[in-house]
Amino acid sequence: MRLVEFGMQRLLRASSAIIVLGLAIELLSLLWFHPLSFVLFAVVGAALIGLGILIYLASLAFAGTPAAARPAGKTNS
Amino acid sequence: MFGPEGILIALIVLTMALALFLFVRPPATAGAGERIVAFIALFILPALCLGGGFSAHIEHSKETKSCTSCHAMQPYGRSLYVDDPNYIPAAHFQNHRIPPETACYQCHADYTFYGTLKDKFAGLERVYIQYVSGPPKHIKFKGRYSNGQCLRCHAGARDFEENPVHQAIRSELASSQMSCISSGCHDTVHNVTALDHLKFWRPAQ
Repeated sequence: MRLVEFGMQRLLRASSAIIVLGLAIELLSLLWFHPLSFVLFAVVGAALIGLGILIYLASLAFAGTPAAARPAGKTNS
Repeated sequence: MFGPEGILIALIVLTMALALFLFVRPPATAGAGERIVAFIALFILPALCLGGGFSAHIEHSKETKSCTSCHAMQPYGRSLYVDDPNYIPAAHFQNHRIPPETACYQCHADYTFYGTLKDKFAGLERVYIQYVSGPPKHIKFKGRYSNGQCLRCHAGARDFEENPVHQAIRSELASSQMSCISSGCHDTVHNVTALDHLKFWRPAQ
């Protein structure tokens, strides 16, 4: 496996896991009727979802040019 | 039955399922279809859930039960049931002059474009007071109660406009030079210190 694919997969996995955790916290905050539920959503849930999205965007930058567009035999690893 | 919040919850569950799938099977770099699924599952849908979550929480915070869920606010919630028409909030709440499910918000929001957002940040300050610094013994209204919050509904209403007292001081009311609630006219508001000596209205179930 090329290094770039391995790195991208790791970033995608990290991004997915953080987004799932953030969404689970958002779901909990929506079902919990308490003055702290908004704080839980804004400080923890939204921050995790935002971080997950940023990691996903970083993985796109990590991937760089699509393999098909690169000259034959060249990789960015 | 399946309102905006139900749709948001369904969207969150769908996004979680897709993100979990991508966690278990992260896409190879080559497939365009898989890249599109990843883009939707890890960018578009989470961003939608984030926006929907903020919107749902702002809507929740408008509810009377949200305001009175803080211990310090419970006497103010109780004052809405005082059986005395001179109590301005109680008379408005009990006679549905304001929507009872969002009663606090109707009279305590700045009706500007960013009013809801401004109130949300003020609410965060109240959460800090409730859980960190502790609520004061006597809760005071921060700043000055604007007549605009009364005039938003009453301005233009026949019984308000034809009242000779209102006609005589109309410009002072509009500019908040005279306060509706603290200039001696409609000054019985929540008055929570007197609650233990009052009769309460029990709504029919």
